[in-house]
Amino acid sequence: MFLTRSEYDRGFNTFSPEGRLFQVEYAIEAIKLGSTAVGLKTKEGVVLAVEKRITSVLLEPTSVEKIMEIDEHIGCAMSGLTADARTLVEHGRVETQNHRFSYNEPMSVESTTQALCDLALRFGEFDEESMSRPFGVSLLIAGHDESGPCLYHTDPSGTFWQCDAKAIGSGSEGADTSLQEHFNKNMTLEEAETLALSTLKHVMEEKVTSCNVDIAKVAPKYHLYTPEEVEVVIQRL
Amino acid sequence: MSMVFAPRMAEAAPSSHAGASWSPYDNNGGTCVAIAGADYCVIAADTRMSTGFSILTRDYSKIHQITEKCVLASSGFQADVRSLQKNLDARHQIYQHQHNKQMSCPAMAQLLSNTLYYKRFFPYYAFNVLGGLDNEGKGCVYTYDAVGSYERSGYSSQGSGQTLIMPVLDNQLKSASPLVLPPRESSTPLTENEAVDLIKDTFASAAERDIYTGDGVEIVIINKDGIRRETMPLKRD
Repeated sequence: MFLTRSEYDRGFNTFSPEGRLFQVEYAIEAIKLGSTAVGLKTKEGVVLAVEKRITSVLLEPTSVEKIMEIDEHIGCAMSGLTADARTLVEHGRVETQNHRFSYNEPMSVESTTQALCDLALRFGEFDEESMSRPFGVSLLIAGHDESGPCLYHTDPSGTFWQCDAKAIGSGSEGADTSLQEHFNKNMTLEEAETLALSTLKHVMEEKVTSCNVDIAKVAPKYHLYTPEEVEVVIQRL
Repeated sequence: MSMVFAPRMAEAAPSSHAGASWSPYDNNGGTCVAIAGADYCVIAADTRMSTGFSILTRDYSKIHQITEKCVLASSGFQADVRSLQKNLDARHQIYQHQHNKQMSCPAMAQLLSNTLYYKRFFPYYAFNVLGGLDNEGKGCVYTYDAVGSYERSGYSSQGSGQTLIMPVLDNQLKSASPLVLPPRESSTPLTENEAVDLIKDTFASAAERDIYTGDGVEIVIINKDGIRRETMPLKRD
């Protein structure tokens, strides 16, 4: 490892002779250590669910914030370095509000995703202003615009994909397989809530409670579930 | 406003400083009218361009199509108008690249307002009427002052013949007062052909008395089938 990569995995913007950017690849690896997050798209709206790792009984669960609102019609779940995600979400909030100011209309979800990805790959070694390393976070961006509900997945390389259902984080492999089996496009929002939570349940080490998961929906407006609303979904499992 | 921007004012006042009487503005006259219906919008402007007692040309179009469903008619200083049109065209081109769609008429209305206000202290000497179809396919008319204050209405007139035409439109079309509840549709009850005929009549009348309105009238009709242009000759004296 040290011998093969020592020359090229230090510079953030330096390609290795094989044509790889190791720091970006490491950042993508970092996501696989993060807590699991899933997103499901239905015709009624999009559901996001995340696992919150409550490492101590003395920790206040509401302070672990892994689903955030970007605009009224866009929500975002994260996995990886959540501190990095805050920078991206803040950028998204500024962009969507600027769009409302300029055009008196909500920004489309794809454009917002594109704006976040533009920032994600704006890193450099020498520029004081810009981020000195790739963002170590992956996002699931759920939204509703004129084309209906939509779900996007972004990674630290600044690439994004549109998905029907997607899981990110440490349990993503198992969760993705499970989603591929159980997800179908004609699900109701309620079925999607249940599937999102049961998928999380399978990959989580702890028992699912209203404290260690967060659920949000965009249908067509962003809403983060209260612990009581989460409890209702847990009862359906 | 007229005190500040009347181009001839400075020349009339004897000035002790040679060259201090120069004004960056001229008034090229002309009249614009727009009427919105349930599923159409008619935008019209005369084709005379004048300065003082001279006619510069009898065949100058004051109507500019920005998007497939949105046209702008402007009177005032035509050099400023051209600059404004180019600015909006460029902004629309960028918008299309960023968002993969054409700008809606309400979005363009907000953009025009911002564009005018950003030159609050050296304004475009342009009096605009923006017409087109909104996101639901209904006709929409937006009317502006030179610094970007704007309003959506069922019909509007701007320019040198405004004071002759507007009372006739008020009488024939009865604007829905924004103060009366419940709010009424802003579009007018006329059919498309009735609206076109009304516009032709108002221009023929304005051309009788207003020396800056005449030569011809260009009428643009936007409906679900697309965009269509008509012309009608006016008095040339």
